[in-house]
Amino acid sequence: MGTNLPDAELVKRVQAGDSGAFDILVQKYQHKVINLVGRFVSDQAECQDIAQDAFVKAFRAIDKFRGDSQFYTWLYRIAANTAKNHLASRARKSPGYTVDVDDAEHFEGESGLKEYANPENLLLTEEIRATVFSAIENLPEDLKSAITLREIDGLSYEEIAEVMGCPIGTVRSRIFRARDVIDKELRPLLE
Amino acid sequence: MKERDEKLSYLLDDYADENTPGDLDEVIGDVNLQYRMRRYQMIGEVMRHELPPVIDTGFHAAVMARVAQEVGAAQERKPRAAFDSPAPTPLLSRGIFKPLAGLAVAASVAIVTVALWQPQNQDAGRPDAGLVAADQLKIQQLAEQKIAGSAVPVSTRVPTPGTRWKIDKESPALQQKLNAYLVNHTEYSNSVQGLIPQARVAGFDAQQ
Repeated sequence: MGTNLPDAELVKRVQAGDSGAFDILVQKYQHKVINLVGRFVSDQAECQDIAQDAFVKAFRAIDKFRGDSQFYTWLYRIAANTAKNHLASRARKSPGYTVDVDDAEHFEGESGLKEYANPENLLLTEEIRATVFSAIENLPEDLKSAITLREIDGLSYEEIAEVMGCPIGTVRSRIFRARDVIDKELRPLLE
Repeated sequence: MKERDEKLSYLLDDYADENTPGDLDEVIGDVNLQYRMRRYQMIGEVMRHELPPVIDTGFHAAVMARVAQEVGAAQERKPRAAFDSPAPTPLLSRGIFKPLAGLAVAASVAIVTVALWQPQNQDAGRPDAGLVAADQLKIQQLAEQKIAGSAVPVSTRVPTPGTRWKIDKESPALQQKLNAYLVNHTEYSNSVQGLIPQARVAGFDAQQ
């Protein structure tokens, strides 16, 4: 994996007052945070709200982030605590049902389609999945291997270069070209 | 263009070099690059089955709107805090004169308390000695005032038919006595009762 230097640089900028840098961090980690919160709260609308709260809390506390851990690890802790606190406060507010934090992953709480979980967004999500998998299937073998080793196996550029028997520059280029090809298919869906 | 997008792909994989600060500037300042970065990010999430069940395309915008509110609120607080904070006081006035100022305030409070407490507890209901003497003199003068002519009986009740009777209110002697009586009662009484005779007389006069 990489060194997370871009994250450190972005955090430094946020600490210096550049909220635009925080926007990049939100875009980068939004789905990871939503997925994490989703392990505690099954209701998707609640999940989105809690994830938002977690990012806002992280923004408020970012001056206290000293870089001892990676930014995502720190953000992950904030998101997990926000979700746990939400569950605890919900249990206090509605004595009708209570959810233990450990059981949250399996808990089927109140669900329902809220604003963002409309049929269009559900369809869009499905289309994105289908498009990406279809585009990967159609990739040339060298590009497919490079992107798979990177995204699924989580290998570093150096490791991929060793596995594929090519220079690191070539790995970097192949990964980019794979992304670029898939992006051409994906872009019309998200515009 | 391709080179810029390749740099973006490289950045997304958390690789950095000496050009990283400049590349990040470019991403922060270019919405299209941000969209591209999000799509590259999404490709990896789909491949790792990390894409949320439903994608909210407005999520990051909603977060950033709240962050903007935080920033705005923080900026509002800053000047207000600067305005509210007292001007820096010299060390001498803060360190040495603070106990003296405290003592001065305590002494002032004590003086005011004693001044307010004394009349209420010691002199309550007791008229001032000087005023009493003056009033006594006045009453004495009024009471001893001689009326020209023959002596007038105190009661000037005039027999009238029936049970009703009249007071000759024109009688100067009666007026003098009444005045003395009223002055005496009004000045010496601190209570509401002291006003009652006056009220009765006024009522009586009105009836007449």
